[in-house]
Amino acid sequence: MEGVIAIWQRDVIKFFRDRARLIGSFAMPFMFLILFGSGMSGAMSSMIGGAESAGPLADFDFVEFMFPGIIGMTVFNTAIFSAMSVVQDREFGYMREILVSPMSRVSIAIGKVLGGSTVALFQGLMMLIFVPFIGVTITFSMVLQLIPVMFLVAFALSAIGLLIATTLKTSQGFQMVIQILIFPMLFLSGALFPLSGMPTWMNFLVKINPLTYSVDMFKKIILQPEQMAPALREAMGLNLSVFNHVITFSEEVIVVSLLSVIFIVLATVRFSKSEA
Amino acid sequence: MAENIVEVKGLKKHYKDFEAVKGVDLVIKEGEIFGFLGPNGAGKSTTINMLSTIIKPSSGTATINGYDTVKKKNDVRASIGLIFQEQTLDEKLTANENLMLHCKFYNIEKHKREERIQEVLEIVDLTDKRSNIVETFSGGMKRRLEIARGLLHYPKVLFLDEPTVGLDPQTRNHIWEYILKLKEKAGITIFLTTHYMDESEICDRVAVMDNGKLIALDTPEALKNNVGGDIIEISTEDNAKAKKRIEETYNTEVSESDNKTLTFQVNKGSEFLVNFVKEFDISITSVNLRRPTLNDVFLNLTGREIREETMSKRDLAKKQMKRGPH
Repeated sequence: MEGVIAIWQRDVIKFFRDRARLIGSFAMPFMFLILFGSGMSGAMSSMIGGAESAGPLADFDFVEFMFPGIIGMTVFNTAIFSAMSVVQDREFGYMREILVSPMSRVSIAIGKVLGGSTVALFQGLMMLIFVPFIGVTITFSMVLQLIPVMFLVAFALSAIGLLIATTLKTSQGFQMVIQILIFPMLFLSGALFPLSGMPTWMNFLVKINPLTYSVDMFKKIILQPEQMAPALREAMGLNLSVFNHVITFSEEVIVVSLLSVIFIVLATVRFSKSEA
Repeated sequence: MAENIVEVKGLKKHYKDFEAVKGVDLVIKEGEIFGFLGPNGAGKSTTINMLSTIIKPSSGTATINGYDTVKKKNDVRASIGLIFQEQTLDEKLTANENLMLHCKFYNIEKHKREERIQEVLEIVDLTDKRSNIVETFSGGMKRRLEIARGLLHYPKVLFLDEPTVGLDPQTRNHIWEYILKLKEKAGITIFLTTHYMDESEICDRVAVMDNGKLIALDTPEALKNNVGGDIIEISTEDNAKAKKRIEETYNTEVSESDNKTLTFQVNKGSEFLVNFVKEFDISITSVNLRRPTLNDVFLNLTGREIREETMSKRDLAKKQMKRGPH
């Protein structure tokens, strides 16, 4: 147990010590939210709201829509990339120090995933700094809801990251694979544009993408779709459904939890077989 | 049986089409400094890796502190300290953090940690660097910190794989002082590999490894005595002629290096030398008598010299880069 904590602690200490990484982590979300989001917002509003300036659709604000997606993106990226430390530890030798200790491989793997999840949770929470500038209202109870959800999503993604990290030898290779994986998953998750009126093939990919349900949890917490006009909710793609069944928040929690369990088991088994 | 801290029987390791270790048998007593000597690629590291549970032997068995290295991995891991050829510190953390993590990895009781960290830092003279980030350390300091870390959990056996490679001579000497201090203070068994001849002279016993096999195992003294007497090095005005003359007169084999020096072995070198210089009729320009070194031992056993050159320049450069500037 102490081993798990030690491994976790090391990643957390290193995260807070690395100022460049802390500041740099704001760059991508900032660009998406402020530059891309603000730039697109006029066009998106007129597309969705139409020419009329009255009616429920006039309330549509693209930056506000994107915000939960950007939190999601930050959590996904940080969590999945956190596993790169496993590859780097192998490259720089520290993995040997870990692997020749009497700790079980299972505690090492779990410690690593928990470390990645914690760092991703912090990064996700740091995105709330943008709140005052984009006109979203976040209440304290929303934050309390966000924390466990972010952690759950981060845990699943860290486990996926670890699974990939155990099969790759270099950090360049790892980065490449993650980029190829994360971008389509992000685009097909509804994080960056409303999931409405998509072609059938794309709709299918969206529905099998675990990030879709993760992003949707953030949207449900932050955007409060049940208080929206039904037309606006539809236009923002917030009625996520599978086989005509509208997915509830708790169903999403179950889906992501199941994925977490599956991937942590796979990653741990795989990691246990690795030699120092 | 407790006094045999390491027992190895018929240990082998082969990879697809290459046999790295071809059957090693040895027994090490508690408190011994045991040296593993041989050129690069001889199988030293592979053997150490098998003993320290990092890789699985293809066949044969090894026990450390009474635990089988395959069946009782975690017990073996708790009984040994490892200092690798490559650096394995976390450079972004402080010395203290590196040591504290190690305490946790090895489940050292909380109330003992502070005291142990103090203790090991003192052994390697790094007490005042405790809160510094490892990145700022010199190569020698990093090595010392690794040795300190390897001692934290009071291992029964400390494995040192080429502990001084890539360090400057002065730092090398210091590292050896620390290692000797360790033996005196902690009484632990030290198992080290090296390809520096002079370093293996401090060992209680030395095993010479070549081509995946142990070709000799004895005290440095006994190994040197096996070479057969003392070494005489002379240079003359006509080396070719002198070589022939010595071989005929004294019935011994003479080797010539760099076209300058003739080397041969005799018994009772000092007595021999007096008469030799008097009687020899080719004019001698220099003469030197010395005791055999382990380098002569290796030369004698394999017909080759152990030299740093056996490690390619590229390997050396790679190692130096990893270790960082000194």
